[in-house]
Amino acid sequence: MSATLQRHTTRQLTRAKTTLKCTSLNSTFASRCNSTSVSNEHYNVVVAGGGAVGSVLARLLLDDNVGGSNNRRPIKIALLEQRPSPPSLNNITSKTDSFPNPRAYALSPTSLSYLGPSVLQSLVKSNRCGIYDSMQIWEHDGPAQLHFVGDDLEEAINDGRLVNLNTYLDRNKDRTKPWLGAVVEDASLVSAIWDELRTDERIDLLDNIQIKSIESPSYDQMGKIEPPPHVNITCCRHDETVALSADLLVAADGANSFVRKCVGNFPMVTRSYGRKAVTCTVEIDTSKGNWGMAQTAFQRFLPHGPIALLPVWNSGDQTDDRIYANVVWSTTPSEADHLLSLSPSEFVSTLNHYLCQGPNVNPSLLPNSVSSNTSILTKVAKEIDSLLRTANTALTIGTWTEAPSRNFFRMPPRSVGVVSPILGFDLTLSHVSSSSVNGNRRGGYTSPRVALVGDAAHTMHPMAGQGLNLGMGDVNVLSNLVKEAIDSGMDVGGTDLFLDRFNDDRMLTGWGTVGGVHSLHEIFGQSGSVPISVTNPQSQGQIESVGGIQGLIGYSRSMGMNIVNGIGPVRRALAEVAAGAVPRGLP
Amino acid sequence: MAFALLQPPLRRDHCRASLLRLLRKRPVAGRYANTRTFGNRASSTAANKINAGGGSSSSSSSESKSMNASQCEVNKFSSFASSWWDSRNNPLVGMNPIRVKFIRDVVQEFQFSNKANQHAMQLPLHNKQVLDIGCGGGLLTESLSRLGATRVFGLDASSKVVEVAKSHSFHNSSRMASIGNITNVENADINQSGLTNISYVGGVTVEEFATTWQLESQPNVPHNELFDVITALEVVEHVPNPSSLLHAATSLLKPNGILFVSTINRTIKSYGMAIVAAEYITGKVPLGTHDWNHFFSPKEIESMICKDSNSMRQVSVSGMVLKPPFVNMQWYLSPEDTDINWIGAYQKQH
Ligand SMILES: Cc1cc2nc3c(=O)[nH]c(=O)nc-3n(C[C@H](O)[C@H](O)[C@H](O)COP(=O)(O)OP(=O)(O)OC[C@H]3O[C@@H](n4cnc5c(N)ncnc54)[C@H](O)[C@@H]3O)c2cc1C
Repeated sequence: MSATLQRHTTRQLTRAKTTLKCTSLNSTFASRCNSTSVSNEHYNVVVAGGGAVGSVLARLLLDDNVGGSNNRRPIKIALLEQRPSPPSLNNITSKTDSFPNPRAYALSPTSLSYLGPSVLQSLVKSNRCGIYDSMQIWEHDGPAQLHFVGDDLEEAINDGRLVNLNTYLDRNKDRTKPWLGAVVEDASLVSAIWDELRTDERIDLLDNIQIKSIESPSYDQMGKIEPPPHVNITCCRHDETVALSADLLVAADGANSFVRKCVGNFPMVTRSYGRKAVTCTVEIDTSKGNWGMAQTAFQRFLPHGPIALLPVWNSGDQTDDRIYANVVWSTTPSEADHLLSLSPSEFVSTLNHYLCQGPNVNPSLLPNSVSSNTSILTKVAKEIDSLLRTANTALTIGTWTEAPSRNFFRMPPRSVGVVSPILGFDLTLSHVSSSSVNGNRRGGYTSPRVALVGDAAHTMHPMAGQGLNLGMGDVNVLSNLVKEAIDSGMDVGGTDLFLDRFNDDRMLTGWGTVGGVHSLHEIFGQSGSVPISVTNPQSQGQIESVGGIQGLIGYSRSMGMNIVNGIGPVRRALAEVAAGAVPRGLP
Repeated sequence: MAFALLQPPLRRDHCRASLLRLLRKRPVAGRYANTRTFGNRASSTAANKINAGGGSSSSSSSESKSMNASQCEVNKFSSFASSWWDSRNNPLVGMNPIRVKFIRDVVQEFQFSNKANQHAMQLPLHNKQVLDIGCGGGLLTESLSRLGATRVFGLDASSKVVEVAKSHSFHNSSRMASIGNITNVENADINQSGLTNISYVGGVTVEEFATTWQLESQPNVPHNELFDVITALEVVEHVPNPSSLLHAATSLLKPNGILFVSTINRTIKSYGMAIVAAEYITGKVPLGTHDWNHFFSPKEIESMICKDSNSMRQVSVSGMVLKPPFVNMQWYLSPEDTDINWIGAYQKQH
């Protein structure tokens, strides 16, 4: 009796806590929802947020073909989206005067496979994919370059560790080269997926909806004889109250996730790069005929960050004479603001100036001040420097074991005009963190009956295009766990089993990727990459004083890049990681 | 047969009611009532072990003939009952998905003639009568019920863990009932035990269950009173006479019915892994849960089941292997590696 009483009190407390939080955040919407008509539906999974990540999750949950069995799973899900539902892809593509939207992602082959054959086909057919089968990365102050081609992935595809996307397409028989990836606009991607979701009656697509409150179980209610109560979500839609309950609520509602804040068990680690990205769509110069690189992704590292030029809209049959590319330019906020203030023609010439330069031939390792110094130590250093430079040059020009073309630098095409608005967005690194209370985890990617995916759990530097790919990894793992639970007649959110397995997998991958992208940023974007929230003035001073070391890092980085480029296995391994292949030797 | 066709519901209800009545009357039930208080009283594992040890030496020799359950073993599980559904404390939770996968796959391959059968796809146990021996807190029992079984009997020698199972199922089903919208559970009438189609029977061994069941339906048990699927997972290593348990289970199978058995192999590897790792290092299993001498190889179990009953045939065996780094409780089926945990399927021929 007393136990029941206690349980009730706890639950009421939890409810009071969460409701209070939600109401205070969402008070603007609360006043608009007067009606009391309540529909009480229960779902296996409720996904909050129908953006790229949430939509792909819903698609994967309904995908019965994964894992070889064709059984149509008895699953019921709801997708909640606060905006009106996206237009169909046909509506988007039928607009003749349109241009590629600058909010676009470079998706790896593995991420693209999560879209499934039919979504991928419709994107390709309607010319909304920017397929690239080669990628060139080089830097501003060194001779280094890295050149991946689709062939680097052949081994992984043959081993069955990486999906061959060409098998997803019923046409393009001539396209036999493996893809390195494709650039897809956010809007087209979401529309294409919603088109497919609309055909499945196992999902309720609830657009124009506002979540008002969430009532989720407390940590104490997990693992008990009495299973934890369902998560209850109260929403407002078309002026009516909609009450939903679910085995699992998934927050896919973006970087400012309302669900994450409302449930409130999710501490985040946030760092600012002191960087801002500028993005837009440009038209490419075709006056010199076929530029021959419509399927290459270019990325040049400048002192403050990379400029990427990515192909878009190159997958259709109708070969328009206009060729577009997506530009993502990461730099300091002041430089970004300057770029944003330029006229389109000024922007284009600045872009061409910074992007269309090859790698430098052998800059000196040592700062000038050192070169004029004649101490013995300096002489020794100079000797080493020249030795290193010789080796490096040999690697740059040398053909080594690979086909010569790989080592030729290819000048990126010039842009002739900006065709979209130029957008700027701040770059922050954030990731959920967890702690341990009496040996039990608090925080991380999950709390009782709640899981976070995509930007709701992490944001990062768009370098290497990993932002959305990480979110795609989240939803792939989560959807497999949900399906495993359903196939084994278990309650996916009611046990720590699946929540722990999701958290463990994503904490490892997420931190690995965030950390990896962060250290790439540290190495390439040398100056001023100071983590703000953990900064003290002294350490900032130190970074200024180690400029020489930064030069060394830059130099060894050049070496590293060329060695990687020269050695097939290492380069292939890197390409596989970027493509999301399963590592060798795993079951 | 004609009788069964004419009045199947009456017969089944009558049969179950009298079974339960009978079980309540038996002296056995009284003894297990003692077990329950015993388990409640012993709050610490150590105290429980000492008491249980004494209990088993005095009683098991006389009891184990008539009832195939060691008091000591029963008490171990009773004391563990409250954390049965806690995946962080009970590794069986993490093992459940692959056990169910094995059962689904075998049932689909060996019991559905039409591979494209719609029900087999969605609800692999559709139309099946299922018996879960050693149901414990009801982990597998609930799963089997959700996968579409017509009826699932959950049986365990410890009445205390069965109370856990009943309570868990009751909460689950009353929640689903209050929602009134059951998505992946076949709509069946809710009975007293909780989750729609489950009947739990606590404090009873399968030998007793079989005797009663078959007495009730003498002289020739009609096929529809028997079971399509019987599971005895992680049970044989905990009873004094596994052979007798397996024979009782076999006698309850319909022709074509399948008995699933899982246990731990008796190898050097299992000694290291199952006992040292599971019990001492990760602390996931209460001390003293397993005795290596009571583990069995697939060959031993096969011969126990198939040796003196040529109606039984082993149809599939697979290892169940924990994925490294072992802490995340992710298992996979490996037909080759039966060195530690393994599961087998044995089908009754026509
Ligand atoms: C302007 C802009 C440009 C970007 N450009 C790039 C780029 O070029 N390259 C790159 O890699 N990344 C880029 N990013 C980052 C990229 O958009 C994200 O990594 C990615 O969109 C994450 O997807 P998501 O589905 O997790 O979140 P989002 O895409 O933010 O989707 C969240 C969805 O949830 C909905 N939602 C929010 N709150 C609620 C609520 N309370 N209830 C219901 N629904 C809700 C939103 O309407 C939205 O549809 C850009 C981001 C922005 C904002």
